[in-house]
Amino acid sequence: LKSKGKILLVDDDLDFLNMHKVILENRGYTVSTATSGNDGLASIRSEIPDLIILDLMMEKHDSGFSFSNKVKKDPLFKSIPILMVTSVAEVTGYSFTAEEDGYWMKTDDFLDKPVKPDVLIKHVERLIQKEKKK
Amino acid sequence: MSNKATILVVDDELGIREGCKRVLLQEGYVVQEAEDGNAGLIKAQQKQYDLLLVDLMMPGIGGMELIEQVHRLDPEIIVVVITGYATIETAVEATKRGAYDYIPKPFTPDALIAVVHRGLEKRALRLEALALHSEREQRLLELAGEKNRMQTIISCMADGVLVVNREEQLVLWNTAAEKMFSFSSTEPAGKSLREYIHDKSLNHYFKEVLHSKNQSVSMMTQEFCIEETGTILMANIAPVYDEEGVILGAVTVLRDITALKEIDKIKSQFVSMVAHELRAPLAAIEGWLEVVLSGEAGGDEEQNMKWLQRAKERAHALLVLVNDLLIINRMEAGKVAQKIETIHVLDLVFPIIDLLKGEADQKNVSIEVSFQDPLPPIQADKSDLEKLITNLLNNAIKYNSCNGFVRITGKREGPYFCLRVQDQGIGISSKDLPYIFNDFYRADNPVTKKIPGTGLGLTIVKKIVDSHLGRIEVESELGKGSTFTVLLPLDRK
Repeated sequence: LKSKGKILLVDDDLDFLNMHKVILENRGYTVSTATSGNDGLASIRSEIPDLIILDLMMEKHDSGFSFSNKVKKDPLFKSIPILMVTSVAEVTGYSFTAEEDGYWMKTDDFLDKPVKPDVLIKHVERLIQKEKKK
Repeated sequence: MSNKATILVVDDELGIREGCKRVLLQEGYVVQEAEDGNAGLIKAQQKQYDLLLVDLMMPGIGGMELIEQVHRLDPEIIVVVITGYATIETAVEATKRGAYDYIPKPFTPDALIAVVHRGLEKRALRLEALALHSEREQRLLELAGEKNRMQTIISCMADGVLVVNREEQLVLWNTAAEKMFSFSSTEPAGKSLREYIHDKSLNHYFKEVLHSKNQSVSMMTQEFCIEETGTILMANIAPVYDEEGVILGAVTVLRDITALKEIDKIKSQFVSMVAHELRAPLAAIEGWLEVVLSGEAGGDEEQNMKWLQRAKERAHALLVLVNDLLIINRMEAGKVAQKIETIHVLDLVFPIIDLLKGEADQKNVSIEVSFQDPLPPIQADKSDLEKLITNLLNNAIKYNSCNGFVRITGKREGPYFCLRVQDQGIGISSKDLPYIFNDFYRADNPVTKKIPGTGLGLTIVKKIVDSHLGRIEVESELGKGSTFTVLLPLDRK
């Protein structure tokens, strides 16, 4: 079976990391994981994925943010779409949207944790297709 | 009063004395006599007279001197001088020295009665004026006292008080207000309020209170911040009216609510922290259940069981967390009164080790108990102490390396009972060490990530130690292990 695409998951919560991995692998994606921003950067340097799924709050509250900034500033990586999966909505009552916050957050799409499997897949498919059309 | 007025006649001529006495007795006065200046003075010293009739030319001390002496005794005494034609000038001189009037010899009874009558009326008026004067003085004194009392009451208030007039100039304030606005006690009289209060909305309220047309504005409350000091004040502003209902000014009572605000902030932070800690495991549980329910396993029951097992683990961790939170809440709310009893610590240690044995066996961690013998008992709450030992031992096992050991020792150190729990675990970095007793604080590294914990265990330990007036110390080296030393006073007095 041919892989539908390579996805890098960056999350320090092992539950969500494994959960998302299960969901994505079941749909035929190849998944690699990292538990910190630095691990994530190391991972994309060795292999460029088709999509990065990123947690906003990891070791620090803005770890996901600084990671996405580094990725989008690097000419080699800036075309990799980033899907940010956050718990921010429930903590702050504020939901990020790609239209409102995508630019300054250097992120292509947002989802709130926990994500329903089919919602996750819908967003992942859309981001990867958009990327392939370019 | 005039009917009972007492009159002293001082004259060396018996005829004059007798004549005067007869006339004045008929008028209803009390009359006494003295034959010369000396005798007159002695009488005046013994008794208070309303009026003296004094002959100027007498042996012994003269009339002139007598006038001065009796005035010293009673400044309001009336002296009427009796004098011959030849001494009119001296009579005038006598009035200059305090005599009220003079009557030239010889005089008719009517002339005497008239001058005495006038003199006594004068005395009555003087006495009345004097009484009024002293009454007024008393009133003023009372008023000053009242003002003083009010000033004292206002000064003693912990709340600041500021009074302004219609022109918004400061007219009265207390020490607390001086401190709040950092002005000296003499400085701000008559100065505009705006020099001290920069808050726009507060100044607006002052205007509204001072210039409101009707009497509907009775009180306004406003919070504001003094930027220079960061003090947050709650101001109650009320207008002051005169009898006609015209606004004279406004009185403001200021309460420093900085500490309350700070507590409120800490509370909010704690609530948000708790909410975050609760939602993390809940979201994971929901996520795993979602994965199972949406059939990601594709009929692979073993896979489903694995995921459900994971959800159950997170649910359990959540339960532990909620329990810890409840313990902290009970301790902070003081709901559980400490039941201080005599405890032999060693008696508590073995049952706790039995409870933790399963976990220790999993990692093949051995536990060594080394207590001084004999060891005095301590005064403590049993369940608190159990919780303290459990949390410390639990950590020592949880963060230990496989095949490591834990040593728990008890000994006497001066006036303290010293309990020490030592492990060979992962240790705590110096970066993390200052924060380990904070709510929800967990050292963040790849090893701790795999070990479940609420971040509240040591918070509880610290609270228990504090409530027992003890001390806790930590020594730790990354990769080598940690030693927690708890010192509890043997004698809790």
